[in-house]
Amino acid sequence: MTQPLVEVSDLTVTFQGTPPVHAVNGVSFTLAQGEVLGILGESGSGKSVTLKTLLRLLPERRTRIGGKVAVEGRDVLALEGRALADHRGGVVSMIFQDPGLALDPVYTIGRQIAETVIRHEGVSRSTAMARALEMLELVRIPSAKRRLSNYPHEMSGGMRQRAMIALALACKPKLLLADEPTTALDATVQIQILLLLRELQREMGMGVIFVTHDIGVAVEVSDKLAVMYAGSFVETGSVAEIIRDARHPYSQGLLAANLVGAEPGALLKAIPGAPPALHAPPVGCAFAPRCELAGPRCGADPLPLWQARGDRWARCVAAAEAAVPSHAEP
Amino acid sequence: MAVAQTDIETLATADKPRGYWSGVGRRFLKDKVAVAAGCVAGGLILMAIFAPWVAPQDPFDGTMIRRLSPIGTEGYPLGADELGRDMLSRLIYGARLSLFMGVTPVLIAFVIGSAIGIAAGYAGGWVNSITMRVLDVFYAFPSVLLAIAISGALGAGILNGLLSLTVVFIPPIARVAESVTTAVRKLEYIEAARASGASAFTIVRAHVLGNVLGPIFVYATSLISVSMILAAGLSFLGLGVSPPNPEWGLMLNTLRNAIYVQPWLAALPGVMIFLTSISFNMLSDGLRSAMDIKQ
Amino acid sequence: MSDAILSAHNLVKHFNAGGWGAARKVVRAVDDVSFDVAPGETLGVVGESGCGKSTTARLLTHLLPSDRGEVRFRGRVAGTEVPLKEFRRHVQMVFQDSYASLNPRMTMLDAVAFGPTVHGVDQPEARRRAGALLERVGLDPARFGPRYPHEISGGQRQRVNIARALAFDPDVIVLDEAVSALDKSVEAQVLNLLTELRRERGLTYIFISHDLNVVRHISDRVMVMYLGEVVEIGPTADLYTAPRHPYTEALLAAMPSLDPDRRTMEAPLQGDPPNPIDPPPGCRFHTRCARAFGPCPGTAPVPALVGRRHLASCHLNTVKEAAE
Ligand SMILES: Nc1ncnc2c1ncn2[C@@H]1O[C@H](COP(=O)(O)OP(=O)(O)OP(=O)(O)O)[C@@H](O)[C@H]1O
Ligand SMILES: Nc1ncnc2c1ncn2[C@@H]1O[C@H](COP(=O)(O)OP(=O)(O)OP(=O)(O)O)[C@@H](O)[C@H]1O
Ligand code: SF4
Ligand code: SF4
Ligand SMILES: [Mg+2]
Ligand SMILES: [Mg+2]
Repeated sequence: MTQPLVEVSDLTVTFQGTPPVHAVNGVSFTLAQGEVLGILGESGSGKSVTLKTLLRLLPERRTRIGGKVAVEGRDVLALEGRALADHRGGVVSMIFQDPGLALDPVYTIGRQIAETVIRHEGVSRSTAMARALEMLELVRIPSAKRRLSNYPHEMSGGMRQRAMIALALACKPKLLLADEPTTALDATVQIQILLLLRELQREMGMGVIFVTHDIGVAVEVSDKLAVMYAGSFVETGSVAEIIRDARHPYSQGLLAANLVGAEPGALLKAIPGAPPALHAPPVGCAFAPRCELAGPRCGADPLPLWQARGDRWARCVAAAEAAVPSHAEP
Repeated sequence: MAVAQTDIETLATADKPRGYWSGVGRRFLKDKVAVAAGCVAGGLILMAIFAPWVAPQDPFDGTMIRRLSPIGTEGYPLGADELGRDMLSRLIYGARLSLFMGVTPVLIAFVIGSAIGIAAGYAGGWVNSITMRVLDVFYAFPSVLLAIAISGALGAGILNGLLSLTVVFIPPIARVAESVTTAVRKLEYIEAARASGASAFTIVRAHVLGNVLGPIFVYATSLISVSMILAAGLSFLGLGVSPPNPEWGLMLNTLRNAIYVQPWLAALPGVMIFLTSISFNMLSDGLRSAMDIKQ
Repeated sequence: MSDAILSAHNLVKHFNAGGWGAARKVVRAVDDVSFDVAPGETLGVVGESGCGKSTTARLLTHLLPSDRGEVRFRGRVAGTEVPLKEFRRHVQMVFQDSYASLNPRMTMLDAVAFGPTVHGVDQPEARRRAGALLERVGLDPARFGPRYPHEISGGQRQRVNIARALAFDPDVIVLDEAVSALDKSVEAQVLNLLTELRRERGLTYIFISHDLNVVRHISDRVMVMYLGEVVEIGPTADLYTAPRHPYTEALLAAMPSLDPDRRTMEAPLQGDPPNPIDPPPGCRFHTRCARAFGPCPGTAPVPALVGRRHLASCHLNTVKEAAE
């Protein structure tokens, strides 16, 4: 087997403070070259923090990071100086929910893309500008040549998001991190951007980690899905497996809440309560207070795992028991 | 967003409900600088109220022998002024008039200015535009000039000084009141209150006042120091308070010739003005951040 | 239709967008919008951002004066035939931003009790009712009654907002993106609450959202808006299965499929929605419509009946030559 593009094992991220926040608690996954992983979770579940760790974007002093993060076999957590700068934007780059915040308002789009190319590849300004034009055409911005000299505020929301994608892809990264890049867009624009991303991913053979709280969006772009709750992955599998055969009660609840297979007008199978505050690391199952199947076994640490394949598993007592009938004692 | 959400969840599971004002008090008490400033300001106010008990001597009683005694003279710990009156006692008594001249105009202007600003802000539209343009005319003059012009026209005297300062402070307070009210008026809870069928008066009373008076008040406290300095300036020019009344601005004025003989002595009233204004300023800064709900 | 509980008749609202005289620009936020809602029905309103959904909601509830047109409650004109104060008891609204719609310095109990006191209920009675309503929306009044908005979660705040609307015992509630800001699992709880309340009290909802899935779930009829106009309105099942306006079609095609084997292959529309300042002449959708033809750029289509209680404004439904 070849080396995976991304290898994360037992990642924990804690923000120090009063009270501290245990944002990520033992996340492990691998991503192969050219694969798209969707991370699905509600607000505060730690999706953005996980992505930012891969780029080392978290405030160094207040953050404690544990576990291992490797991209192309290189230890990301140990990168320093020049190597870190190459890593950011060169090997891995990121697109954000709000392009208005990620693009610099005082430089033209063309200049911003060109600067990035120059920084990472050391080419001449004219070559960089040519690349910028090429990128804008790639993301299908109409009359790209003219748009090179536009400032971000002169563009519409959808156009800005395209420009940000162009910026992120300018140095042909191996891994693209997308943090809810379509959440702020209108439905008809959102689908355009999703299709664009899917196409570019295929053309360039990038690995993509796509974070979203919208199951529909995740299904459109991902190969594999991971469902995240309270800083941990609770279930992973292929998109079809998660959508059709979710094993973790939280995944099932989330699907119901997204009206997957819901009967119009009927009451939904809603999960009661709200996600926990992460001021202490969870012991046992973090979902237990909201889970109707919860029992004393759910406090076990570590929790038993139901696993069908390497990357098809759910971390839940009930799921594990259901799969092993001999365990079904009262 | 995500950060706030989690904080909310914690609070939601904490069982004891905590009111807004107790939260403000808690945050204020955590702010060491603001608490210290509050103590100094409180001390000054107490000193003014209890001046006859605190002051070692009669502030009007001077002997020429003691003229411009230096700081540390026996019986006159802070020296004596150009007429041989005890400096310490005069500074203590001076707090009465100075604080009075600092606080009263701001207080009156706070009441009038808030009323104008809130009414204009809540009404919106052309009522707002006209009111604010009129106030802008006053606002266009530097406050020192305006104060001097008005009290110059009215003549010297404590009351006239007070009046001119009040007029000076109404426009800035009204402007702040207007902008805070305009911001609040656009919020959806005001719309929700309108959707309840409540009258404008009820909405202002129940939903607007509580949310705008705080910020306006904080702004007004920051004007107290300006008011003190302006009042001192008026006295210095011979407007406002007149001799032999002890008032810091006036004292600064009468002592100005002594600056070459006893520079430290001459600076003392200035020190008091500085101390008072800075403590009121820090107090209002502290209040401002303590009232920020998002903290 | 006289049996409608609430109806809009040719509502118009234009906003100033700067400029004077000939150079004056207006945002045609709502332009000649008419529709009606039957008692006990839920009307969903969908459309892209800026198409005038919130403005319509504010016109309906008389929070914003309309430039032209009228709102009728049970056939009587609101504001004249029905005094505003009475109208407001019958028609209530819930806003998207659960935090901004609560007075930060009022406890939850007082927030819910405020409305009835305005209408003459005495303080103790209003508070007693408020407690019962908090209980009904799933919040323990003893625990949540004395809290302030920043002390509870978004989902809980939105329950309080619903309780506040219910305190008037209204007939109609206009919900402007009332669940959009909530997390999915919490959104489902609030949707359930709305469904239950509707069954219990025979409420009529006008449910505004950009989430077509949610709208399909909760609505009996759906209204689609584009650049300040209603382009199609009809029964939910008909509209979702057989839309009669190309924009509705595009909007539905843009919904993520939720089926990994049938992913969306082609974006139904290109480009962003145009600016509501100076919308295109003729059919406002013609600049993006794949099926635009002869009359589209010149003549504005009018609503035509295309099915039972189903109207659409598109020349395809009315002009003969479109058939070929
Ligand atoms: N810089 C930070 N300092 C302290 N806490 C943080 C910081 N960044 C994030 N957190 C906390 O970490 C937790 C996870 O946040 P994260 O941003 O990853 O959530 P998310 O899943 O991306 O949610 P959303 O959907 O709202 O973006 C949250 O509780 C958040 O409050
Ligand atoms: N008070 C106002 N002054 C000027 N323009 C306004 C005002 N309110 C709304 N508009 C404009 O009117 C148009 C319609 O706005 P509206 O808020 O009704 O849209 P919406 O459909 O609710 O959009 P969203 O989905 O973003 O909430 C927008 O272009 C908006 O910018
Ligand atoms: S481990 Fe227990 S509490 Fe957690 S999801 Fe499974 S059954 Fe529910
Ligand atoms: S009227 Fe013409 S342009 Fe408008 S939607 Fe119908 S076909 Fe398209
Ligand atoms: Mg995030
Ligand atoms: Mg809106």
